[in-house]
Amino acid sequence: MRTGPSASVHDAPPTNGSPRSGNRLVRVLPPLGVAALAMAGVVFVGVVDPNEAGHYPTCPFLSLTGYQCPGCGALRTFHALAHGDLGTAFTLNVFVLAMLPVLAFFWVRWTVARARDRPTRTKAGDPRLIWLLFVLVMLFWLVRNLPFGAFLAA
Amino acid sequence: MSNYPPPPPPQGGAGVPQSAPPPNYLVWAIVTTVLCCLPAGIASIVFATQVNSKWQAGDQAGALKASKNAKTWAIVSGVLGIIAIIFAIIVNVAAASA
Repeated sequence: MRTGPSASVHDAPPTNGSPRSGNRLVRVLPPLGVAALAMAGVVFVGVVDPNEAGHYPTCPFLSLTGYQCPGCGALRTFHALAHGDLGTAFTLNVFVLAMLPVLAFFWVRWTVARARDRPTRTKAGDPRLIWLLFVLVMLFWLVRNLPFGAFLAA
Repeated sequence: MSNYPPPPPPQGGAGVPQSAPPPNYLVWAIVTTVLCCLPAGIASIVFATQVNSKWQAGDQAGALKASKNAKTWAIVSGVLGIIAIIFAIIVNVAAASA
């Protein structure tokens, strides 16, 4: 039984998740802020060279164990990318490079969802894809520390 | 008895999602794995898989619980990452001044 037919007709149907009010520009501010922060980070790493000792602290895992983690070389990769040196970026950390389009996809999906005032995702992706990511991260971590995997090391 | 046009079908059209799955915080997992690379980042990836697999299996309560776990681990990995970076800076400064 609908007690207020006029309200049910004129109100927008509630979207799932948190209903967001306000205009579109306000809703897309968080994604735009994240993009600005990311750009600022890349510019900073591009200017302050991670190849020079003393500019950044060494990875804690590398310091403690002597082995490289999956993220080792990420700063130098971003530095190379900021200077358009894709070849050097490839030799430093392929995992970081591979994650860039993935993160870009999630960012675009998030931005579009905010602009349309819709849930960021309406169905769950195949969990096997995330398991594949997990296995690839672990393999990358292992292999880049083995002698035959030195080409993956930073 | 009402003069108003009939309400839209209660089940919703094909374009209206029945319900949205809870967030799995996979982006946080990837970012923490890349930027500070801690076991917490890896654990976040595992919890992200559980959100999706439980949701797909129809276990909405389980998916919500896994989502809360994933959120907790995203926060833990972020805080641990900041602590690790501060620790690394202290160690580097100490090594440089020694």
